[in-house]
Amino acid sequence: MAHMANPLATPDQLFQRRSYGSLPIELQDTIFFATQCLTQAAGLLLQLPQSVTAQANVLLARYWLVESMMSHEFSDTSAAILYLTAKLSPHPRSPRDICNVYSYLVTRPTTALFHSPTAPPPPPHDPASPSPPYYRSESAYQAFHTRLLTLEARALHALAFDTHVALPHALAVTYLQALDFLGRGAKDGPNGLGARAVAYLNTALLSPQMLYLTSQPNALAVAAVYNAARDVGAKMPECEWWEVFDVEREELGFLVVGMRSVEGWGAVMREDLRGMGVERGMVTRGDVEAELGRRGLVVGGNGSNGVDPEEEMARRMDEKMAEMEADV
Amino acid sequence: MSSKTKSRWADDEADAALEAQLKKEKEEKRRLKVAKARKLEAAKQAREASAAAAQQEGDGTNGPPAKRRRISPAREAAQATAPSNESNDAPKLWRFYGGAFAKSRSVENYDKLNDIEEGAYGWVSRAKEVATGKVVALKKLKIDPRDRGGLPITGLREIQILKDCDHRNVVQLREVVVGDDTSKSFSNIFLVLEFLEHDLKSILEDMPEPFLASEVKTLLKQLASGVAYLHDNWILHRDLKTSNLLLNNRGQLKIADFGMARYVGDPAPKLTQLVVTLWYRAPELLLGAVRYGGAVDMWSVGCIFGELLTREPLLQGRNEVDELAKIFELCGTPTDDTWPGFRRLPNARALRLPSTMANGRATTGSGVRAKFPLLTAAGVGLLNGLLTLDPKKRPTAKEMLAHEYFAQDPKPKQEAMFPTFPSKAGQERRRRRETPNAPVRGQQAADFGAVDFSGIFSGREREERGGGFSLRMV
Repeated sequence: MAHMANPLATPDQLFQRRSYGSLPIELQDTIFFATQCLTQAAGLLLQLPQSVTAQANVLLARYWLVESMMSHEFSDTSAAILYLTAKLSPHPRSPRDICNVYSYLVTRPTTALFHSPTAPPPPPHDPASPSPPYYRSESAYQAFHTRLLTLEARALHALAFDTHVALPHALAVTYLQALDFLGRGAKDGPNGLGARAVAYLNTALLSPQMLYLTSQPNALAVAAVYNAARDVGAKMPECEWWEVFDVEREELGFLVVGMRSVEGWGAVMREDLRGMGVERGMVTRGDVEAELGRRGLVVGGNGSNGVDPEEEMARRMDEKMAEMEADV
Repeated sequence: MSSKTKSRWADDEADAALEAQLKKEKEEKRRLKVAKARKLEAAKQAREASAAAAQQEGDGTNGPPAKRRRISPAREAAQATAPSNESNDAPKLWRFYGGAFAKSRSVENYDKLNDIEEGAYGWVSRAKEVATGKVVALKKLKIDPRDRGGLPITGLREIQILKDCDHRNVVQLREVVVGDDTSKSFSNIFLVLEFLEHDLKSILEDMPEPFLASEVKTLLKQLASGVAYLHDNWILHRDLKTSNLLLNNRGQLKIADFGMARYVGDPAPKLTQLVVTLWYRAPELLLGAVRYGGAVDMWSVGCIFGELLTREPLLQGRNEVDELAKIFELCGTPTDDTWPGFRRLPNARALRLPSTMANGRATTGSGVRAKFPLLTAAGVGLLNGLLTLDPKKRPTAKEMLAHEYFAQDPKPKQEAMFPTFPSKAGQERRRRRETPNAPVRGQQAADFGAVDFSGIFSGREREERGGGFSLRMV
């Protein structure tokens, strides 16, 4: 049964994050989206199977429901969780590989990482202009390595060492087979039912609605199959077939909408990132703090949304201390 | 698009025909109804006729559907046959429960009582949960802070596997707690395991009389069902031995210590041959196989079987070569008939085996019968099967459970009737280890070079020969 069930977020955890998080919700969502994209990109460059990268996405989402987003640099958190997931999988990756890939990714222009499918491809690199340095010195690597190990331990602590993730992808294929949807149009290509269903599942990993933390794999798989069948215009059974797979109509409806909305979300997020002036690579804590400062200026008058400067200073000093200790 | 992607649920000719027929029937019904209404109209007042028309509209045959919700035909039928049974309405859906996630708790929630043992992978102590008073075993993971790979993968695998396991013959992991210093990387990680009073090794060492045949069966049956569960879930234990088998005072056996365990797939991935404590290590591992499966665990089960009978580890080799010699001595030397392809294993190429006839006796036969004169024929059959050199011919754990050995008299003793033993773990005495430990990760695998096994059968004539009978069977 372990292959069918995931630990889910409690309503309390979701409420806490939404209501008492130190960041405004839309900033939380932007960070979430950007970091999940970064994890996916790193998984590709590290040649990890999607099953491993997807697990890392889910673990990262869980981690941020337990720990504050701002406690560590986002790219470091992503790197540490990907490192941990790969280590537990049959495809471990060395800290140095991880370091190289993340150094490369965070120095790429933002468009390379978060390009929208409709936008023209980023211009090829101009050899005349100085290339951004995406190598790291040995000492920088050692510092990254230390941060990686610290964060690995922190993440395991936050998750109570429970790294179990059941992915819905294989279930979706089984359901497609059960519905006799597979192997009919033999050459469906990237627009085939199966490919579309898997695409929906992978896109759902990026959703700030944290669909993987609120629904069990069987529900996600059914929703992906439903969406895919609707997209390609395949006719579905007349009856309430989702009940065969133990999914309620209400949950299915929620997930169908949630999965379909990620694309729109993504566009908004990309706009937000551009609005925050993130030019190069990943959004960083510095960017977020700058954005908070800007908003603080705007909404500073009523003080409801602004961050208490004294508190903010204390927090920053704590972080600095932690960093220095970690480097030692 | 729909024409390209044919779906089983798409309309075809048969559907069209069916639909046409339905339409015709509906039409007929409506015509009848209209005629009836007209008759009524003729007989009664216009006021009543309008009421009839309204009723007809209410049928909704040509008006817009009142609700888009469709109900499955099966349920309609169910409602038709049993309209009073309202519980039919809500379908029974299976709910999956995977629990929640939260931070690990602190080890401060437990009071340490006493140390139990110190092994290669950390120490174990008995402790009491402060809130509930429940006694548990705390196993501390050994962590080397200088290890730049982070937390040890063996420890993480053990946690991952034990968290996924739920079986009465596998030790239960209650939670993982950490030391109080949580701000930095953790030096202290503790597995909170259910506490069992004994381990099989210490019982065997201390008992004055060996286990009865029925008791051996009880233990073996539990061991086999635990191993069957693990193999069913794609887990290889890779360090089965009597000191890793725990026993409580209610006769229940549980498999513990998953420090060597890992998930495998099909086809088997390349794995390290440096697993399983030497005395319980299967011949294919000693010969350097990198692709192996559940059969290595079954070999260990065979060694444990022998140990339960004699209270002594069955094959106590001093090193890899000696272990292999002891194996060949007991089970006979392999030939291409008994173990096809064994010559292709890395360490077997330079192996010099005695000729099949040494001192006028066959060396390829098994010596199990001679070694266990008091064991029944079925028992010898099972033990011989488990200690088959060719891993493909060893029975699986499931096959072992179905073996007639467990069906024959004496039947396995009921767990509740199992004798109890003075607890070692509960007292202050520490367990001492005389068995070698499981190999350490990253160790160099033994390279045999050319080894001469031709002399191993020279002393065989002096061995005792089969037969005999025992009065103390039950």
